[in-house]
Amino acid sequence: MIDRLTPRQLAMVSRVCWTLGLSVAAVPFVFPLLWMVSSGFKNAAEIFGSPSIVPREWHWLNFVEVFTYQPFARQYFNSLYISVSVTAITLVVSSLAGYALARLRFAGASLVGLFLVSALMVPEEVTIIPNFFLMKRFGLVDSHLPLILLPVFGPHGIVATFLMRQYFLALPKEVEEAGKMDGLSRFGIWLRIALPMSRPALAAVAIITFLHSWNLFLEPLIFVSSIEKFTLPLALSNFTDPYGTPLWHLQLAATSLSVLPILIVYLIAQRQIIESFALSGVKG
Amino acid sequence: MADEGKTLRTAARERRAPRLTLAMREAMEAWLFISPTVAGFLVFFAGPLVAVVLYSLTEWNLLTQQMTYVGLANYRDALFDNPDFWHVARNSAIFAVGLVPFNMALALALALGLSGRFRGVIFFRTVFFAPVVTSAAAWAIVWKFLLQGESGFVNQILATVGIAGPNWLRDPNWAMFAVIFTRVIKMVGLNMILYIAALQAIPRDYEEAARLEGASGWQVFRWITWPLLGPTTLVIMVITTIGSFKVFDHIYLMTGGGPENGTLVLAFYIYEQGFKFFNVGYASALAILMFAIVMALTVVQLLVRRRDT
Amino acid sequence: MKALKQLLAATCVAAAIALPAAAAELRFTIWTGNEAHLQMLNGFANSFKATHPDVTVKFETIPPDSYTQKLTIQLAGGNAPDAGWLMEDAAPTFANAGVLEDLAPTLNAAKDYDFADFSKPALGLWTAGAKVFGVPFSTSPFVIFFNKDMFDKAGLEDPLALAAKGQWNMAKFQDVARRLTAANGKFGFEFKDGQGYDSRIMHALMPPIRAYGGDVWANRQCGFDTPQAVAAVKQLHDMVYKDKSIVPPGEKGDYFSGNAAMTINQISRASLMPKAGFNWGIAPLPAGPAGESPVIGQAGIVVFAAGKQKKLAAEFVAHMTNKTNVAIAAQFFPPARNSVLSGAGFLDSNKLIPAAQMKVVADAIAKGKVLPSHDKSPQIVAAMKPRVDALWRADANVENALKAVCTAIRPLL
Repeated sequence: MIDRLTPRQLAMVSRVCWTLGLSVAAVPFVFPLLWMVSSGFKNAAEIFGSPSIVPREWHWLNFVEVFTYQPFARQYFNSLYISVSVTAITLVVSSLAGYALARLRFAGASLVGLFLVSALMVPEEVTIIPNFFLMKRFGLVDSHLPLILLPVFGPHGIVATFLMRQYFLALPKEVEEAGKMDGLSRFGIWLRIALPMSRPALAAVAIITFLHSWNLFLEPLIFVSSIEKFTLPLALSNFTDPYGTPLWHLQLAATSLSVLPILIVYLIAQRQIIESFALSGVKG
Repeated sequence: MADEGKTLRTAARERRAPRLTLAMREAMEAWLFISPTVAGFLVFFAGPLVAVVLYSLTEWNLLTQQMTYVGLANYRDALFDNPDFWHVARNSAIFAVGLVPFNMALALALALGLSGRFRGVIFFRTVFFAPVVTSAAAWAIVWKFLLQGESGFVNQILATVGIAGPNWLRDPNWAMFAVIFTRVIKMVGLNMILYIAALQAIPRDYEEAARLEGASGWQVFRWITWPLLGPTTLVIMVITTIGSFKVFDHIYLMTGGGPENGTLVLAFYIYEQGFKFFNVGYASALAILMFAIVMALTVVQLLVRRRDT
Repeated sequence: MKALKQLLAATCVAAAIALPAAAAELRFTIWTGNEAHLQMLNGFANSFKATHPDVTVKFETIPPDSYTQKLTIQLAGGNAPDAGWLMEDAAPTFANAGVLEDLAPTLNAAKDYDFADFSKPALGLWTAGAKVFGVPFSTSPFVIFFNKDMFDKAGLEDPLALAAKGQWNMAKFQDVARRLTAANGKFGFEFKDGQGYDSRIMHALMPPIRAYGGDVWANRQCGFDTPQAVAAVKQLHDMVYKDKSIVPPGEKGDYFSGNAAMTINQISRASLMPKAGFNWGIAPLPAGPAGESPVIGQAGIVVFAAGKQKKLAAEFVAHMTNKTNVAIAAQFFPPARNSVLSGAGFLDSNKLIPAAQMKVVADAIAKGKVLPSHDKSPQIVAAMKPRVDALWRADANVENALKAVCTAIRPLL
């Protein structure tokens, strides 16, 4: 059979098979998202009753009720502003430190590097208890500051620092030398030469940092107790009736709302995202 | 902007005190640059880590706020008296051993398939990356629904082809598999992108030269691509292993550690002891043990890698 | 001129004294975010102003599934509320830890309070000698909610009618559940909130065990492996796996959306029924070989020792639990005051539930036993959980599984 196909046909068949295989593999990746959005339009009885992906009745009001049931808009905003702050601060702090580790010679550099690497190996769970008491001492329990400070300076911030360091190491030194000749200070070189040249690395760090903060679960669970201070992951698991029974239709509608904007941003920017990962050489 | 540049320049010139050698100045600048990171490291990491060691030597109830020094009793309890610890450590090991190779193999396979340029490649990359940007909470909630017993969607699909699916999240033999599988699907996109990035960085002439000499696809991969991916593989392996020990939200939301403690992993156990039973001392000892395990694993991975290359 | 000056000075002083008082705000933690509940609670805060014009009360909602945990974190985190709601399973832990304020002096001093009016058994969890660590605020028995439409379709008498004839017992319960499943194609019975295998294992096992004359534990003895408990749990296991009439582990069969014919719950859940879209009613728990044995879930309100305004908070608790307010609260939270319970108003207090069915509630409060509690409840439940999971395997040996439960919890009792 195969013998009788021209090479061109063979290529075509193999491409079709390939696409088919990928499509099948894609099912567990996409289906949960589709199911989630479609269930957000159903009522509770239908979610339990029928597995159909197209709702029998469209309950648009679920998406309104999500906002009246708990301060969901406020919680959404919390997650947004916390994630944006974490990302912005991490970018500054990690690119400063990464630059110093990559470019500057100073006594103790390798020791500092070693210490920082050790933080990579320690899960947040290990230090969460003393950090809780630390925040208590500062009076920051039930505030958003722990959710900003801990990711910036925790293991994740260290990962960001090393990503930046790797990228700076690979940059040609000559441009910076030229800057020096022009009389730029070290800070000036970092700001005007090194940073603009490391856009892909900054983008990669920004993406993983934003997602890290956006998905943070344990820290909010421990540090935040008032409903209006919740972040999205906590808010999503809080769509229950007053007695603790999950309100599935609201939970799934809210979940869709929490995922869709990020997915849309990803779709629009996906080429740049992948390129920045490729260019940043996030590969150690 | 121009003004700013000028002030920076003047500032730099003024700072150049005559007796400061260039090396000293560079060191000072370096410390200035690195100080936020180091300060944060000391306050939010090193300090707390020392505190955890101290806490682990006490019996401390969070509710009553009473603290008594008990020496190594918490460690003795965890390692010898309380069978839970070894059970939980075993679960964490199973989770890691199941997740890491599965995740990496899938990531590499997808990357190899999607590193080229053909129609639809962007679409598929998006599809496989989509779960990464989905919040873990949302992911777990949805899968919990899909994996219900007989009425669950997955089992209904399996039933149409004549397979009676297990009660995924309630069957101790399947729950761990279900958690690992859903976790891999959720996270594999990131590793896939890292592999794609690494593959695109490999110069094409290597492979083409090998092909001209008559090497098969598999030989090209085995002897050229795979060794060149070495550094990436190492980083992905280390990060994924550490990540697999950290897993908390996924377990918390999907199984709560059950059934029959079948998915009770270290991170969840620490949380439960510390923030549900408020045994801060015992939880701290567990945290130190977890640190030791992760550290040992990372060092072993790095050493094995170094010996190989 | 001088007089004016003096007046001015006096006003200033008065203002200075009045200012801190005006700022007095009590923080009160509660698990409910329900508007009707909050409206009622804010009503109590408003009527408190009659005696304390400068005091406002802020009700802070903490979600119920992590209520006790987050409350503890607030206490440990130096962010203690002044007063709050406390569930029965946390009461002994908190009382033993010394974080609850003794309310006896304030309650005894309060005008027309009549502390003796509270039913003695209802106070068990909340008093130690002359000390009062909390005032029971919800003494809510477990009842059977049934879907009348499904009973009609199956041609069966509903549990309320059966109870009236004295035929509503565990055997009948199993029989009815099986017939309902067959006739409706939906499950006959669902455990409380569908959580019987997860966060509500005690609420699933406890009522049948008591109906058979056993108990889960008492006097530091484990009761799960007694013949009565084994018989009770065997019946449940048969219903799940032989009759397939109880929603099994890992499935969802929600009563409130019409996917199960009966469930067990408390009357506060009646607020979900108007939206349910089917005819319904409540009935007592089925009697067992040991006769009727109603089970009560309880919650109290407490003042935290770490709070900054303990005296004021205690006065608010006294206000919230006086006769008038307990009668108002009875619509949602069944009272522990004998005068309210026996008063004519109680049976008509809940607009959703007819008086004849409220009688079920009143009877259960009078005869019922509170759920078991223990100062190590969280640990006990956690230790039980994996063994109870094993119990719910289809091929489990119930007797051995219950023995394993006892082995696991005995050291904690």
